[in-house]
Amino acid sequence: MSVRSLRKVYGETVAVRDVSFEVGRGEVFALLGPNGSGKTSTLESLEGLRRPDGGSLSIDGIDPVHQSRKLRNLIGVQLQASALPPAMTVDESMRFFCTYHGVPIRDDLIERLGLSEKRRTAYGQLSAGQQRRLALAVAVAHEPAVVFLDEPTAGLDVQSRLALHGLVGELKARGATVVLATHDMAEAEKLADRAAILLRGRIAAVGSPRQLTAAGSRKTRISVGTENGRLAACRPEFPGAAFEAVRDGYATYLSSSVAATVAAVLTWIEQEADALVDLRVERPSLEERFLEITTDPGVEGSAR
Amino acid sequence: MKAFANHLAYDFRSALRDKGRLLMFHLFPLVFFGLCGALMTAVNPFFREAMLPGMVLFAVMSASLLVAPSALVHARENGVFRSFRINGVPSASILAIPVIGTALHVVAVATVISLAGAWVFGGRAPTSVVGFAAAGLLSYAAYAGIGVLIGVAADRDSSAILIAQLVFIPSMLLGGLMVPERILPPGLHRIALLLPATHCMRVFAGLGGAGGAEAPWSSLAVLGSSVVLSFGLAMALFEWDSRSNRPSPKTYAAFLGIAPYAVAALVGA
Repeated sequence: MSVRSLRKVYGETVAVRDVSFEVGRGEVFALLGPNGSGKTSTLESLEGLRRPDGGSLSIDGIDPVHQSRKLRNLIGVQLQASALPPAMTVDESMRFFCTYHGVPIRDDLIERLGLSEKRRTAYGQLSAGQQRRLALAVAVAHEPAVVFLDEPTAGLDVQSRLALHGLVGELKARGATVVLATHDMAEAEKLADRAAILLRGRIAAVGSPRQLTAAGSRKTRISVGTENGRLAACRPEFPGAAFEAVRDGYATYLSSSVAATVAAVLTWIEQEADALVDLRVERPSLEERFLEITTDPGVEGSAR
Repeated sequence: MKAFANHLAYDFRSALRDKGRLLMFHLFPLVFFGLCGALMTAVNPFFREAMLPGMVLFAVMSASLLVAPSALVHARENGVFRSFRINGVPSASILAIPVIGTALHVVAVATVISLAGAWVFGGRAPTSVVGFAAAGLLSYAAYAGIGVLIGVAADRDSSAILIAQLVFIPSMLLGGLMVPERILPPGLHRIALLLPATHCMRVFAGLGGAGGAEAPWSSLAVLGSSVVLSFGLAMALFEWDSRSNRPSPKTYAAFLGIAPYAVAALVGA
């Protein structure tokens, strides 16, 4: 999938400006960004639902703008804003869309997504979470090569969220490409091979979650608890680390050299005749990196 | 074809489950027919003459104007069409299937009205059942086209209801359902020619022999061109996405749908 210099304008508002990225076959790619950053416009342009005002798009050699009919069986889409007819039951929905895609009816997906007991329930009477699960089941029923998920876990409970994560894993395992727009950084970190952070219609950063977090200015947090609490009481300095605070009896340090700091901490504890109870190393999360980018007034969406 | 048939079957079933649509498709026209049959035949001698086509036309208008336009607007504004689009449901199916599905309900109601009107209330029976049925189908197609066009063109539910009522109420009052066209004063007669109901009643009379025989050719031409124009415009103006936040000037093109009736009113035919 290739996006080149995508631009989308609504009246006076430029929603997407000069966005470019590529997604490989079988890759899970996350689009991250605050509300209004251009995620949905980018996705909907790729899905053939919006006509871009500039740039070029290609999915498996198909131009979504001019060949949208060819695209329909290639892609599966769970839209952020959509609905099924309120009177359509779960069973009818699956039958309806499977027959339009010309594939066998996927009862297994209804079961898999926990909707077995709601088969005869009308869409309008399902909870928001059940509606999203049904939309997801319908989106992947024809085993598309490319799946677009726009805020797929919004409004879902923990079990449904885990079921969805499992499903994304299965899609990836069978070679499907998944493009995911989400506000949930933990979800992106867990599912995505690569992510792009969109800000004011531009890509502010792109890379694997690890690369994105590593590129940030945030340091790794090391929290240490000891039997006699010497570390928390003395708060010694260590090379490459700065003391941060004492929390719940743990001394916390921010380190730019994790190995050196941990070694020095362990040596110090031994010298002080104390004993290590717990040691935790917390890398900066994608969420922290996201906040760093999105709250930095200097970032105007240039690639970093 | 299988998908189309499945879609149509769903549409028909869903109407049976939807109390609102059941009311407007079946109960409303049948209750109105029952009341008119019991009361109007006693006070208005003309009514026996026009009862069958008039009440069938009432059922046609109820289904086409009071249900279809707002259902289309509602589905578009709530993102149902978007779901359809991404799953390859063609726009022609979205417009045609409710029209065909509704036709099945209208045919059922029209059959009850036609039989009961003649046998229970003494309404004048058509001399040609085939002609009467053809007139009914053409009338349905004309009103269904207008209903679909209103649903496609209106940017919100309230607009669709208002525009539909602007066709429905004058059709009831001046279209020959209650008062014969021939006794309308000249000014009102011109206005009546702007209404599909007037032409439908003429076609019923001409083809079915109900309500007095007149040559229906000009009305056949008006209704036929209206069917083609309104469905054509509806296809051309159809939009998948919500339009409530961006009124589209091109939807004013929908007013071209009244062109055949405007011509009829201008030439007085």
